[in-house]
Amino acid sequence: MFNEDTILLLYEITDVIIAGLSNGSVYALMAIGMTLVYGVTKAFNFAYGDFFNMGGYFAWILIVGLGLQFGGYITVLIIVLPLLFLVGYGLEKFMVAPLRKRADWENRVMMLTLGLALFLSNLYMVLFGTKLKSLPPIMDGILEIGQIVFSYQDIMIFVLSLGGILTFGWLLNNTRTGMAVRAVAQNPEGAKIVGINIKRIFASTFAISTVMVGFGGILLSQKLFINPTSGGSIMVKAWVVTAFGGMGSIRGGLYAAFIIGMMEAFVGWIFGMSYTIIALFVLLLATLVIRPQGLMGKGA
Amino acid sequence: MIKVSNLNAYYGQFHVLKDVNITVEEKGVVVILGPNGHGKSTLLKSICGLAERITGDISLNGTPISQLPTEKIVDLGVVYIAETRELFPNMTVLENLKLGAYSKHARPFEAQNLEKVLDLFPRLADRRGQMASTMSGGEAKMLAIARGLMSNATFLAVDEPSLGLQPNLRTEVFNTIQTINEQGMTILLVEQNIPQIAQLASKIYVLEEGQITFEGSKDEAVSDDHLKEIFLGM
Repeated sequence: MFNEDTILLLYEITDVIIAGLSNGSVYALMAIGMTLVYGVTKAFNFAYGDFFNMGGYFAWILIVGLGLQFGGYITVLIIVLPLLFLVGYGLEKFMVAPLRKRADWENRVMMLTLGLALFLSNLYMVLFGTKLKSLPPIMDGILEIGQIVFSYQDIMIFVLSLGGILTFGWLLNNTRTGMAVRAVAQNPEGAKIVGINIKRIFASTFAISTVMVGFGGILLSQKLFINPTSGGSIMVKAWVVTAFGGMGSIRGGLYAAFIIGMMEAFVGWIFGMSYTIIALFVLLLATLVIRPQGLMGKGA
Repeated sequence: MIKVSNLNAYYGQFHVLKDVNITVEEKGVVVILGPNGHGKSTLLKSICGLAERITGDISLNGTPISQLPTEKIVDLGVVYIAETRELFPNMTVLENLKLGAYSKHARPFEAQNLEKVLDLFPRLADRRGQMASTMSGGEAKMLAIARGLMSNATFLAVDEPSLGLQPNLRTEVFNTIQTINEQGMTILLVEQNIPQIAQLASKIYVLEEGQITFEGSKDEAVSDDHLKEIFLGM
């Protein structure tokens, strides 16, 4: 029916789509974490990408450093995710919250997290050296369906990050705390009036966002490397996805992440990987010119 | 009973309330009248822990509450109903009401209170699935009051419930407040210049430039020449 070349091309396109989906799902995790913090606490976290690396390093310590044998990544997630939660909670409660009382606190938080980003990337270099670290894949091997080959790694990355997003969405819509988070995002004064402890919600939001980006770090670091100084560029990528989706819009972040994941995969396939970053910024510029509020943003 | 003693409140550089003393008796309706921007809302917010900075004492049945965060004050049964409503726009009427019962002491009574407020505001029952942002001003006001009642409060601080409402809705809101009071709720209510509200009052205070300039029953208020002139237009 098809000649061999066409069939090969179709396989290649399938591969590209799978890569786009698996990267896109991790971007979604990261964008939702970022948009959540902005939407609820109105703070911007410049150290966001360094928490991505923190997830990767925590996993590396357990798997490579300590040679963890038992339970593999399940154990890693059970240990690391709560740890990330505590880090994020502590960051908000002890560093961001005290600034909130002052005038011009948004800029102060920006400077704080910028400093934190520098501190963390240097801390990683001191602790782990400048050499890149890598994590073993969650699952080795490939899945063959007919002639199409999926790597279990890509499948697991997609399934786990999607699982993370769905769990988060469920919690947001079906728990009391989730409802309180939405309430604070929509009207902080109203939230206070009904008796929501908004300080606790702010800290929890930072904590959840740290968990999401760190989880993304654990997942994606198996495909890429853990680089102590990559936090800034990871933060920028998360920000581009978030801005494209619309700051503060969770649904927008989700769509944007998959669009950008796909775009990267196709641009990389057609023009080469070095063009993906260019495509990313072209998209950002186009967004800022044509629709500055993003796909689903509400505008100023 | 709420007792406010020597309350001072500040908004940035502004000294909004100056040594304010008021007492709200159990199950009473106390009305605070006064021109716009003279500190009425700040007084209510101070009681509910929503003001920026205050000094002085506020006590609820003898328990000091002036230093408590809002969520603790709500938990003690004191709730603020904002002039600006402060609803959650992208949530349904039902979700807004459920959030009204967020505080710990209100949770066990959520179902019971929901039934009660939907009884009190049948229109909200019809619209329980509607987004709060799509409601008319009058309905939103009712939702704000209903959400406040969901907190199982014993003390309501109601900020200008009639503001921006047409006369028939105004009457409806006042009647509802009267009903709530008859059911045992203590009410502290702020109004700008509505003579109608004086009918409900067990006590009236007048707040001008951050100070209490009049305290008395409604009969005393009506016979006070200065008050007549500025508020009742007589």
